Amino acid sequence: MKTTIRFEHVFKQYRLGLTRTSLPGVISGWFKSLGKRTANEFPGERKFWALQDVSFELKQGESLALIGANGAGKTTILKLLANITRPTSGFINIDGRLSALIELGAGFHPDLTGRENIFLNGTILGLSRKQIADRYDEIVAFSEIEQFIDTPVKRYSSGMAVRLGFAVASCIQPEILLVDEVLAVGDASFQQKCLHRIHSLIDNGTSIIFVSHNFYLVQAACRTALYLEMGQVKHFGETKEIIDHYEEDLHQARSRRFTTSDPKHYEEEGGNLEITKVEVWGANGLTSDFVPNTHSAQIRIHYHAYKAAGRVQVSVFIRRSDGLTCCTMRTKLDGYEISLNSGEGIVSLYVEPLQLVTGTYFAEAWFLNESDSMAIVSKGGRSDWFSIKGQGLSYDNNNGVFEPHTRWSHHAGLLDSSRSRSQE
Amino acid sequence: MFIHSKSLFQARDLLWAWTTRNIQARYQQSALGWLWAIVQPGAQVIIFTLIFTRFVPIDTGSIPYPVFSFVAVTPWTFLAASLTDMSQALVANMNLVNKIYFPREVLPIAAMLARLLDFGVAVCLLVLLMLYYRAPAYPAGWLFLPVILIIQLALILGLGLASAAANVFFRDVQSLLTLGLQVWFYACPIIYPATMVPEPIRPFYFLNPMAGVIEAYRDVLLNGRLPGNYLIISAGMALGIFVIGYWFFKRVEFQFADII
Repeated sequence: MKTTIRFEHVFKQYRLGLTRTSLPGVISGWFKSLGKRTANEFPGERKFWALQDVSFELKQGESLALIGANGAGKTTILKLLANITRPTSGFINIDGRLSALIELGAGFHPDLTGRENIFLNGTILGLSRKQIADRYDEIVAFSEIEQFIDTPVKRYSSGMAVRLGFAVASCIQPEILLVDEVLAVGDASFQQKCLHRIHSLIDNGTSIIFVSHNFYLVQAACRTALYLEMGQVKHFGETKEIIDHYEEDLHQARSRRFTTSDPKHYEEEGGNLEITKVEVWGANGLTSDFVPNTHSAQIRIHYHAYKAAGRVQVSVFIRRSDGLTCCTMRTKLDGYEISLNSGEGIVSLYVEPLQLVTGTYFAEAWFLNESDSMAIVSKGGRSDWFSIKGQGLSYDNNNGVFEPHTRWSHHAGLLDSSRSRSQE
Repeated sequence: MFIHSKSLFQARDLLWAWTTRNIQARYQQSALGWLWAIVQPGAQVIIFTLIFTRFVPIDTGSIPYPVFSFVAVTPWTFLAASLTDMSQALVANMNLVNKIYFPREVLPIAAMLARLLDFGVAVCLLVLLMLYYRAPAYPAGWLFLPVILIIQLALILGLGLASAAANVFFRDVQSLLTLGLQVWFYACPIIYPATMVPEPIRPFYFLNPMAGVIEAYRDVLLNGRLPGNYLIISAGMALGIFVIGYWFFKRVEFQFADII
């Protein structure tokens, strides 16, 4: 199998703060730099390494996810691959026709209709008019916007624009497909459709590089992942493993931020109280499998107080895999009081039931000062990942977070409002 | 440069699509539409005719002033409008340049091709004027027209590509271009005949390639004679400008996305 992408020791530097884009400023800048004998460098400008020594390879039919915080260099890699910009140093080799979906509606012109834009975008991606005409019906069918095809793209919703964009980019049978965080815009069924398309492209030998913060999509689309941090490769390996690494780091960063918010307080009182373990129990014991969202759950916070902490409040968050906080539960809000003596113990929180949608979550617990809920008295603790099983089938971040208990009714015919109230 | 022209050839469908888009976008919500292609040079010629026949008479020999100036205003308008559009072509489409790869010169070249249509429309009016004023028919000279046009295109491409690229780095280029076009206008034989150029300057006058282009159009279409040696100088200058402009464009092309 041939190697379609080779990325060897790539560095990319951007200049920041280059505000002097007027001629007088630039000329004076040149004179100053002449004096310093540092040609080609503007004084006072900051340089920023977007990528440092990044190497990877991708063979035909392989898929790679790029994972990392904003500014980690994911989009820079895509732009380098798409030949939009060039590396400062290093070597990049691309073998095959490449199609990039880097931003919503890139390559679309707002004043032109969907039909005209298919041709424009297709020619930008390197197809001849005839090749586009051959695929035109397929593109329109895939995008599901038949009735808007003669409407200017500026009147499209973002979902419609991304459907059209993905349809064009994927229907030209690229040998390499780059997809940036755009699929998140589409609705659930379209995301599923895109996943099917991505899988069938992979089966037919397309190499795919995928950037998304939606870890469900990432896991479903890519076998391997590259975890970037500040422009450097932090981990490389199987997607699941990399996502775990990433989430672990996210969690730690969050607790660092939390604990440093009031360092004085923490030094005084923290360190004396430790959360040793947070567990989520389902009806059948400690969660190893799915918790049905119709069943009750119990969150157990194991602590160790090295000296009596007195009255505290406990705060528990349930967070989704993408970092969204789904709910916050506090002893104080529930009017429950806790006073800690020295020694170990368990605080249990019963959630009856956990009405969250299907997905992966973790619970996070904190001990806070009784009177001041911003003051932390212990480092936070978090549970392992647990999965919730709801009515909805897919892991999909666009279906909301909450699945309430529901009941439907239906009255046929015209309703007399007073009668309907009495019937309720 | 051969490599470049090959990738440009592969992008010819894109070039065509983008040219059509430019034309459509320009005329989509305008009531006069393509008529603007003749309204603008037409108005200029009317003003020139008034001033330079009534106020400050200029001797144009046997050629009536309206057709004398229109034969020059038409190619000049093509050049000025093309350069203005081309200098903005990259900056105005930064979201495209930033997000997707294609040969970048497609954008400025398409801007020029869209103006070529206006030029064609204006030429139709020129032909009517020539018939009306009974300009001499000179088929042998007309064979030179494609050559003159190619020289003009090379000049526009060279300058336009360079200013499109430079404009990415310094927006001053746009203002500079407006100023430059104003000065350049008077350095070309548009409102006056080349014969009025003072003797000491004359050897250098046709180093301005546009002066040669305009004089050549006038010679072939109105004077009924072949262009003189001056056209060789202009052609050389235009070719040089084209090569340097294109080379500069391709040299800095890969910085566009980082800077825009």
